[in-house]
Amino acid sequence: MRKEKLRDLSFFLSPMVLMVLLFYLVPLIMTIYISMTRMKNWNVERYLTEFVGIYNYERLFYMFQHDPTFKAVIMTTIVFVGITLMINVFGGLSLALATFFINERAASSYRLLWLLPRMSPIAVYSLVWYYFFHGSEIGTLNSILMSLGLISEPIPWGQVTPWGAWSVIIFVNGLVGVSFGMIVFTSALNQIPKELVIAARVDGASSWQISKRILIPMMKWHLLYVLTWQFLSLLTTYPHLFLLVEWDLVNRDYGTTLALYVFNTAFGRGEQDQGLAAAAAVVLSIIGVIGGFVTLKVLQFEKMMKKPRGDF
Amino acid sequence: MVKVILDNITKRFDDFAALKGVTLEITDKEFMALLGPSGSGKSTLLYTIAGIYRPTSGRIYFDDRDVTDVPPKDRNVGLVFQNWALYPHMKVFDNIAFPLELRKFPKEEIAKKVKEVAEMLRIETLLNRYPWQLSGGQQQRVAIARALVKEPDVLLLDEPLSNLDALLRLEVRAELKRLQKELGITAVYVTHDQAEALAMADRIAVIKEGEILQVGDPDEVYYKPKYRFVGGFLGSPPMNFLDAEVQDPYLDVYGNRILIPIQYRELVKKLGVRKVILGFRPHDAEVVRGVAEGLVGTVYSFEPLGREQIVTVSVNGASLKVFAPEGEHFTFGEQVTVKLREDRIILFDKKTEKALEFLEE
Ligand SMILES: Nc1ncnc2c1ncn2[C@@H]1O[C@H](COP(=O)(O)OP(=O)(O)OP(=O)(O)O)[C@@H](O)[C@H]1O
Ligand SMILES: [Mg+2]
Repeated sequence: MRKEKLRDLSFFLSPMVLMVLLFYLVPLIMTIYISMTRMKNWNVERYLTEFVGIYNYERLFYMFQHDPTFKAVIMTTIVFVGITLMINVFGGLSLALATFFINERAASSYRLLWLLPRMSPIAVYSLVWYYFFHGSEIGTLNSILMSLGLISEPIPWGQVTPWGAWSVIIFVNGLVGVSFGMIVFTSALNQIPKELVIAARVDGASSWQISKRILIPMMKWHLLYVLTWQFLSLLTTYPHLFLLVEWDLVNRDYGTTLALYVFNTAFGRGEQDQGLAAAAAVVLSIIGVIGGFVTLKVLQFEKMMKKPRGDF
Repeated sequence: MVKVILDNITKRFDDFAALKGVTLEITDKEFMALLGPSGSGKSTLLYTIAGIYRPTSGRIYFDDRDVTDVPPKDRNVGLVFQNWALYPHMKVFDNIAFPLELRKFPKEEIAKKVKEVAEMLRIETLLNRYPWQLSGGQQQRVAIARALVKEPDVLLLDEPLSNLDALLRLEVRAELKRLQKELGITAVYVTHDQAEALAMADRIAVIKEGEILQVGDPDEVYYKPKYRFVGGFLGSPPMNFLDAEVQDPYLDVYGNRILIPIQYRELVKKLGVRKVILGFRPHDAEVVRGVAEGLVGTVYSFEPLGREQIVTVSVNGASLKVFAPEGEHFTFGEQVTVKLREDRIILFDKKTEKALEFLEE
């Protein structure tokens, strides 16, 4: 490489490299290090130098085998991420496609409706669902079902394990995430030349066939992006879950995902065990990296990258 | 393979009228060109025939069948877009096969039909490529193949050649004309290129601001324009127009007196018009040196074109373009006379800009 080229390259890359170093690499290394210490209750002076090797990972593995609470956390993580991801991606896709075929003014107000969960503060939004799913007769759902005569006793929805708790957290987070996919897919749809849709119509395609054969294949890249992005954010999200668990709306074991577990272990009430939390965080990161990589592979990311026009 | 009848079609977008009472009959197997400037409503009319737009009022018939409320897929039309609109994620084969797949044709039959139409358009070697791997001319053929493969009753083409270079355009337009006649398909061809319309069409419909001004075969619209607009839109360079005043039996044209053309004498008397516009085509006049009977002026400029040249003559401030043979040499400012071919002169009413013979319609 020529000298100026190198200079240019380092000029443009240096801010980003610095950011990555400062805010990603350093914390990552610190986390990995802490995961190998007996760090407890933020007692840095006493424990930070107490190196224990992979002891914390062994503890995690042991818990995974024998601790029912931790097993519940793992199951909850898998179910929560898997189902919410599908709801987010396919819900967003369906909404974008549905609004694509109706008139623009109705479509945009309809889309705004779906943005509300994203726009409202987490506490306010969670509170709404707190009252909706509340286990006593003040809960909206219970009072509706009771006045319809479908149930005679109020049901503590979030305490019914595992599926009651899972349904509540999936429902609440699913609604938040749908708008993201919807926005990305809607803007992707608006980029597709309208002649393609007209051509397909004239050729005899129904709206469903147009979606399946023309629109979705042309949005492959966006689909991949939303899938990966939502996967990673669901894996690491905990604010809504934290509140729902803290307010006792959902069962603690089946309302806690690995991300919330890391948070609680590091910062929660009672004894804080940063060493163990850091080990769990490292595991979570590894799952994230593998998962992200797999989605890219499965959807054949390289193939989607067309060769650039021209050779330079 | 049907007759298309448009009966008083109006199309409004909100409060903007894109088509204002279009009535047009396209006979079976005819090649009809829809010629008009940008924004005149050509595409809108084409999409209305295809069923993509529903007319605000008026009816559309294919033969005796009223198709006004029939959705596009049941009209059996083939549509070729200005930008071709090939599906970018499908190979050429799949692009062409798409309409047949939607009709649930068996696989072997699809393969056979695609091959046939690809051979006809000479793209059989390209079937395995993606659209972005094709040249403009090839993409255009694929678009036509896709429209033809379902054996449409009507072929609708929206400026399909406008993205091609000049040479390729000449080649493809000859091919397209031949293809249409061989297949015997009723075709509507939208263009804003008058030369294309004249060269390809059986009949031309000239459209302006959502209204059809004139329908006729190429000779008719070229030599007998109904409106000044039509004369000015067709031909290159277009018709010359000069304000003139009737002083029976003469016309006063920028200080020159010429006799009212014989075909108009009766009419001018009958209509009693005073202010008219005199129109003639650049090849319906000749330039002679010096002062003679005709329009006297000076040479403003001249442009040799190979076989002939265009001489621009200034007649008391009005500017005219006239073809002259190649051998003659003019100098700037030289005094000349433009002699008009009397039988080719068209007189338009000054106020309505309509040719006098159509004024009473
Ligand atoms: N969907 C629409 N909504 C509102 N106005 C429209 C719409 N489609 C077309 N128009 C208007 O109708 C008029 C005719 O448009 P049209 O596309 O038919 O023109 P055209 O003759 O095909 O022009 P061009 O040669 O530039 O393609 C234009 O003034 C255009 O702005
Ligand atoms: Mg157009």
